[in-house]
Amino acid sequence: MLEVRNLVAGYGKVKVLHALSLHVPKGQLVTLIGSNGAGKSTTLRAVSGMIRPDSGEIMLGGRNIAGMASHDITRLGMAHSPEGRRVFPTLSVSDNVLLGAFPRLTGARSKGDVKADFDRLIDLFPKLKDRKDQLAGTLSGGEQQMLAMARALMLNPEVLLLDEPSMGLAPKLVEEVFATISRLKAAKVTMLLVEQFAAAALDVADFGYVLENGRISSSGPAESLKNDPAVRAAYLGAAH
Amino acid sequence: MQNFMQILVSGISVGMIYGVIAFGYQLTFATSKTLNFGQGEALTLGALVGFSTVTFLIALGLPPLAAYILALPIVLAFGLLQGAVVERFGVRQAIKTKSEAGWIMATIALGIIFKNMAENVWGKDPLKFPSPLSEAPLTIGGVNLRPMEIAIVLGALAMMLAVEAFNRRSIYGKAVVATSNDRDAAGLMGINTPLVITFSYALSSLSAALAGVLIAPITLTGANMGAALGLKAFAVAIIGGLSSGLGVVVGGLILGITESLTGFYFDTGYKDVPGLLLLLLVLSFKPAGLFGKSAIKKV
Repeated sequence: MLEVRNLVAGYGKVKVLHALSLHVPKGQLVTLIGSNGAGKSTTLRAVSGMIRPDSGEIMLGGRNIAGMASHDITRLGMAHSPEGRRVFPTLSVSDNVLLGAFPRLTGARSKGDVKADFDRLIDLFPKLKDRKDQLAGTLSGGEQQMLAMARALMLNPEVLLLDEPSMGLAPKLVEEVFATISRLKAAKVTMLLVEQFAAAALDVADFGYVLENGRISSSGPAESLKNDPAVRAAYLGAAH
Repeated sequence: MQNFMQILVSGISVGMIYGVIAFGYQLTFATSKTLNFGQGEALTLGALVGFSTVTFLIALGLPPLAAYILALPIVLAFGLLQGAVVERFGVRQAIKTKSEAGWIMATIALGIIFKNMAENVWGKDPLKFPSPLSEAPLTIGGVNLRPMEIAIVLGALAMMLAVEAFNRRSIYGKAVVATSNDRDAAGLMGINTPLVITFSYALSSLSAALAGVLIAPITLTGANMGAALGLKAFAVAIIGGLSSGLGVVVGGLILGITESLTGFYFDTGYKDVPGLLLLLLVLSFKPAGLFGKSAIKKV
């Protein structure tokens, strides 16, 4: 579904990613783990067009989207729930969710039943239902994370990119976020998950990549990565 | 007292004009954090295109009011186009390269070019815009109200309410608000944010063009009419806050009324002083403007 080949990207002259390749098969949950500054968020930003890759190929459903504008990439079915959630603070919760379906509502993507999807998602995140008419800027961090995910799902995406969905959340909310990700996985949503909680990410994922200084240092089925001594020592903590 | 009321009335109509132009400044600032310093010239061109269209239609035998109403959509469409041109040629490149000041020079330069064009096409002498409404004032409670002054207030409010309704109700309007909130995140929603910015420039010039045809019948119309208005509306945008629709209306009224009062009770030569003093005070004590709100941001 999503295939990244030899991606080089960064900010101006500073290159963060050096020939990175990864593959996200249809219906699978792939996770990208690594320490702070390894280039996890940069990878997602380059894939969704928020930054322009310097070279390499990004294939989405057989089409090279490298270098396209982010709004065009979104219209092809790539949803990205970005780092820091980035909800629209002066719009209501409902409007935020609705804007996730912008390409569907404006004819750039097949429409389907927007209303039904809206109701389904707002049921999936009950806290959002209670706060539908509130401004998104007044939500707590956890609620904003739920909102960012609901908004991304309104696209009916071919691929969903999730950037640090657990960041800054209380442990109980982190559990809730991962429970939601499991539900999406059960519903066969194709996902690329970037996480600092490597253990939790590998627990829920099918396949994992370890990113080190802008390069993939190891990869494999999530189960085997979890038992890899090097990965355990570096990312899962000695206690595991 | 009657004098006072009379002055208040004329202050209000001029204030609403300032408000509409300032509203235009807000539109582009919201989406792109840039301003069109050629707003005054956009107003001039709107008034002059209106002048030519109305004169032409009257020559065809239409009564002035019908000519004016028919000319409005032409003026507004011209405003949209002119604003889009300013954005494409003056602002887009500066935004792309994240230039801090490029757009300032570019929009000023385009303003000067537009003004020169206006001087060449319409001449340097002021023209008399045919008034669509009776110029005989209505007397209400001893206060003389020119019908055009009422039309200015209504037209200005209608314009601002229409934009507000568009932003609140339609999905495209919400996309504009989303772009104002967070351009990158709006792009991730599939919103073509460069196009939204072009649109906001188009709408901004449309506001100025509307202000131009609204004020033209009660003032002299010509290539130089917009410069001072554009500058004062800029002060209004700062006083009211670049993010508050209510702010520009209130700011416009404050400036319009203080100008008229100073001109009458003190000296017309000083009529600009109180408003500009207010501007300096606001900049010192409340830099976000009287109604400016700092964005709600939670990380």
